[in-house]
Amino acid sequence: MQEATFLILTALAGGRQHGYGIICEVAAISAGRVRLRAGTLYSALDRLRLDGLVEVDGEEIVDSRLRRYYRLTPKGARQLAAEAARLHSDAATALARLGVVGGTAP
Amino acid sequence: MTKSMNAAVDLEGGYRRWLRWYPASFRREYGPEILGVLMAGAREGQRRPGPMECLDLVSGGVCVRLRPRVPRSARSAFAAIQLAYLGAAVELAAAITLVATVRDVRSAVFSRNPGYTEGQWHAAVAGHIVPNAVAAGLAVVFWLWMARLIGRGSRWALPVFAAFFALNIYGLVTGLLRDSAVYARPDLAAGIVVCLVEFAAVVCIFRVRFDAPSAAGHDAPGR
Repeated sequence: MQEATFLILTALAGGRQHGYGIICEVAAISAGRVRLRAGTLYSALDRLRLDGLVEVDGEEIVDSRLRRYYRLTPKGARQLAAEAARLHSDAATALARLGVVGGTAP
Repeated sequence: MTKSMNAAVDLEGGYRRWLRWYPASFRREYGPEILGVLMAGAREGQRRPGPMECLDLVSGGVCVRLRPRVPRSARSAFAAIQLAYLGAAVELAAAITLVATVRDVRSAVFSRNPGYTEGQWHAAVAGHIVPNAVAAGLAVVFWLWMARLIGRGSRWALPVFAAFFALNIYGLVTGLLRDSAVYARPDLAAGIVVCLVEFAAVVCIFRVRFDAPSAAGHDAPGR
């Protein structure tokens, strides 16, 4: 799973979001490291909808512009959980091999 | 109209132009949303899309146009599309091999047939080698078209591809009858590889029909 995909799914794990909200959430989750652009976001959302990981959860008109909300599907939540567990396991292994305990090097 | 409103109108027009890189169906589905997000993220007084925004929209549009419109769970369809891209690469290699080995074929033909004339050789080149090279070039385009057709779940993918496979087998057999195994071994090897890739692709396309009904060939949800 690509990092952008992982972060989008993570942003939606906290509840439904619209496009601009996802961009802000991703920036917050990654501490400003990942700044998604609109084209990248909607290409990813289109793929995630096609794969059944994300679905539309209502829409509204705000300032005469369409705002559509997206949410994680159960399948999306399962895949995100699996990926998070894998990353966690890999990170734990890396830290253990480096001899880092409690976040500090020996 | 105020200066800032003019800037917003200009900026929106600019974004709309760059959004044309996306397919029309994608723009219908997401265009207003993307525009809303772009305008929400624009700087105060910004009149034109920034270079990175343009690059993002172009790369996003190209990516959406090229990628298969099948879910990743449709493994057979995905495999068939990958094989179609592989087929295009192999076909291109076959075309290059055909052109690159013309001199070797000529030497082999003349050394094994002392009575062979230049006129006969020119006729063979014009009648067989040139048409085969052109056909291989066209086949590259065909493979890419097939990848797109499979990606869109067209029901014509299987019959068209099966007919193409049969045509290539026919070409391979007629090549063997014309002693390609003697004079043009690299070309024959390339032809066999093409046929093997085609066979695998035909099997995958055939299996697509046994995947989940929604596995292939629909546009994005909600379209």
